Amino acid sequence: MPDVPSPTPPPVNRRQFLRDGTRLAAMTGLGALIGLAATRTSAARGYVWQINPARCVYCGNCATACVLKPSAVKCVQSYPICGYCDLCTGYFVPEPNGLNTGAENQVCPTAAIERKFIEDPYYEYNIDEDLCIGCAKCVEGCTRFGNGSFYLQVRHDRCLNCNECSIARVCAGDAFRRVPLTDPYVIKTTAHE
Amino acid sequence: MKPRISLSALSRRSFLRTGAGAAALVGLAGSTVRAAPAAAAARPNPWAYDLRGFERTDPKLIQYRELRRFSCGRGEARRLALGPDNRLWVAVGNYACAFSETGNPVAEIPFSNPVRCVAISAEGEVVVGLRDHLEVFDADGRRQAVWESPGKKTWFTGLAVAKDAVFAADSGQRVVLRYDRTGRLRGRIGGKDPDRGIPGLVLPSPYLDVELHPDGLLRLNNAGRHKVEAYTFTGDLAVSWGKPTMGIEGFCGCCNPVGLTLLPDGRFITCEKGLPRVKVYSLHGEFEGVVAGVESFPQNARVGTGDAPGEGVRASLDAVADRAGRIFILDTITGEIRLMVRNESA
Repeated sequence: MPDVPSPTPPPVNRRQFLRDGTRLAAMTGLGALIGLAATRTSAARGYVWQINPARCVYCGNCATACVLKPSAVKCVQSYPICGYCDLCTGYFVPEPNGLNTGAENQVCPTAAIERKFIEDPYYEYNIDEDLCIGCAKCVEGCTRFGNGSFYLQVRHDRCLNCNECSIARVCAGDAFRRVPLTDPYVIKTTAHE
Repeated sequence: MKPRISLSALSRRSFLRTGAGAAALVGLAGSTVRAAPAAAAARPNPWAYDLRGFERTDPKLIQYRELRRFSCGRGEARRLALGPDNRLWVAVGNYACAFSETGNPVAEIPFSNPVRCVAISAEGEVVVGLRDHLEVFDADGRRQAVWESPGKKTWFTGLAVAKDAVFAADSGQRVVLRYDRTGRLRGRIGGKDPDRGIPGLVLPSPYLDVELHPDGLLRLNNAGRHKVEAYTFTGDLAVSWGKPTMGIEGFCGCCNPVGLTLLPDGRFITCEKGLPRVKVYSLHGEFEGVVAGVESFPQNARVGTGDAPGEGVRASLDAVADRAGRIFILDTITGEIRLMVRNESA
């Protein structure tokens, strides 16, 4: 059987070519504009203040220097690091009368740490951020003797993100940094290394 | 009518006086603005975690004095061991290094991962603990065997070698593993077992140590319970002692002691972190005295405080005692090894 030649596509005329080319250029330009606008927006507002816990020296200025009262800096708990200790040095004063929730035994001046029994001899420690003033007393106790699971962070649901952060100006450890809004917290995940 | 201001009316003297006054005011304002943060930073911290009362040791309790010290020359020192030839072996960085007692380096075994602990057999074999497995070397540092890892959670932090067994403290699994000398796992010691009256090891931080006592029992530091526990080789808990307190007679913080060693007569030397101190306890666990107090380790004691930010969990001590009862102490922060000898008056 003789081969039937396939029908050839109609040639693109100059008008079609120009129309398609213009469309493509317009779409590309629009995409570039949207991308540029998005980038510019995040560059302008894309940084927030945060504390590097490795530089924090527990000076107490986070509690007093913030324009907010109580401070936007709060103690946070890294549960993967926490030892769930019965005698938690972030919770108890150095020589407590007893390992109980008596006010005289607690390190926290505002009783912002909740001690919750899990199983013998493990206890979970949770921070009540409404009570926490960011004084870092518990952070020093935990870091000095334990794994450093308590540490300070600027909570961005509270922070006003002042252009010149009043805590950063007085931070004794130079621990305040601007960090990208896309990565606003320092997450501690390991104590063993 | 407005008075005319004549520039010629301003004499040079009044111009200079006015200018100097303005400059002084600007300077004063500037220095005030700059001084405010410095003053705030230097203000005493009303929420300081105060341990000053526990950082001084009663001189009457100190029974040892430092004879000499040397640096092990590398960062991240972890554990210390003493060989039968009086060589000091240090698990430091990615190396197991041996030194003479005067600090001369005499051997070195490199690894591709951090060395966590080391122990020497009576025959001079070197057993090295990495995070998840053990390796055995002959006395000349030639690798003899690599033992299988017992599990993903394994985190070896201490070793002891007996005639027929190797005891490996696995802080990740919270047990001491008993191997035979060929590397076959023979038992687990210290794991929670209410039927046998064993409360279980509590180890918030990776500092489980194991020692072979001359009485034939093992000694472990159950740091989270602030106790030293004695176990048989088959895993029965025989006795325990120790109490939590920042006071010198007990074990401080959340989890201490972090290291154990034995004097030739079987008395105990304990090492603590947080308040770095090395102490002597009797055979029955009664506090006897201090080898070195907090003031002996100023750099170590500052880690995790406001003076030296960092993780306190990294700052610890380890010790070994030789046949003469002299004590070598490894400071993991400075990487120094100190030789302590007993005061004649003690």
